[in-house]
Amino acid sequence: MEERLDYTTLLNLATEIGFDLLQNGAEIYRVEDSVRRIFAAYGIPNSDVFTIPSCILVTINDEAGRPRTRVRRLTSSTTNIMRIERYNSLCREICRRAPDFEWIRSEIDRIDSSPCYSLFVQILATAFISFSFTLFYGGNIWDALVAFACGFILKPIFYAMQKYNSNSFFNNIICSALITVLATLAFHLSIASHYDKIIIGTLMNLVPGIAITNVMRDIIAGDLLSGTIKFIEALLVALGIALGAGLAITAMRLLAVL
Amino acid sequence: MDLDFAKILLYTFMACFGFCIVLHMNSPLQMVAACMGGVIGWAIYLLLSPGLQETVCYLIASIAVTLYCECMARIFKEPVTGFLLIGIIPMVPGGPIYYTMEYCINGETDLFLESFLRTFGIAGALAVGVLFVSSSMNLYRAVRSSIKSKHS
Repeated sequence: MEERLDYTTLLNLATEIGFDLLQNGAEIYRVEDSVRRIFAAYGIPNSDVFTIPSCILVTINDEAGRPRTRVRRLTSSTTNIMRIERYNSLCREICRRAPDFEWIRSEIDRIDSSPCYSLFVQILATAFISFSFTLFYGGNIWDALVAFACGFILKPIFYAMQKYNSNSFFNNIICSALITVLATLAFHLSIASHYDKIIIGTLMNLVPGIAITNVMRDIIAGDLLSGTIKFIEALLVALGIALGAGLAITAMRLLAVL
Repeated sequence: MDLDFAKILLYTFMACFGFCIVLHMNSPLQMVAACMGGVIGWAIYLLLSPGLQETVCYLIASIAVTLYCECMARIFKEPVTGFLLIGIIPMVPGGPIYYTMEYCINGETDLFLESFLRTFGIAGALAVGVLFVSSSMNLYRAVRSSIKSKHS
């Protein structure tokens, strides 16, 4: 390369891509591998990347041998399959032809501002999931309709609590208790006939299926530390759900609603 | 029986479709492919469940789903994560978690313990299925690329 490589910009861009991948729910090995490949594409073969679910560290040596490090702390992450796919193809593109940094910057901005499903569509989808899973677990159509309503209420509350950085253990307890109260009330008013199916159907929205899958994918890749962290997270979610529903059912029994 | 079977699979498809939207998957063809993963997994579970032990059914179904997802990832040239997240969802033990909790607050200790172990058994079977297939695929890919680079 004739012109001198701008190490600072490259380090920032690569770290940002890794950070965005991590934030949108990519596996640990994908994050580390992507960042390492980006540096390799610009002729820096020995870069060190270390990632756990809440933090990413990247170190490279510049032409004078001085180490340069970037650390980014991640506080909350979601799962966004579309963005993982876009960042993944951006990485492939970078590795294929090592484009200039302005182009990469504009692509990152484009991916970050690309449209996702709006909150309302997500609320409808959550309600639809509750509806389908209630039928799936053997509820009748009235149960499913009540579950639809529960899902419709669940998502905005869960979203608001996440937005105000409430911890996820507490979130799950509150949401699960709320659903249980609504379902048992519907049962009490004889709108629905199986409150357990409604509760299970709606709670499928919170159940840590994603976490279980991710734990295994991290452990397969040898990231035992990240796997352990996510395993504890999955356990806490399951515990929170059970605790919330349990508290609510006990309370409803004391109030003689059930 | 057959109508019930078809109905359950339809519900599975609907639920997976909802999850495609919540997890922000946006290409329609890919969404259908991902949902079919969930349907295939549950169909295999339902077909095996009369004859085999529950955990074994979950294990085989999860192996089948993971294989299917790995194939889809090759076809669409996208990360396998998205397909797998959605394909596994119908098998996640939401029902068992709830019933475990209910036995616990009812004070039925032996039922509680049985259900608790069952929940862990299912989650473990799913995890082992994913682990087994994905690791085999990684090994296969590594061996193939090393053979290729020797020949060229």
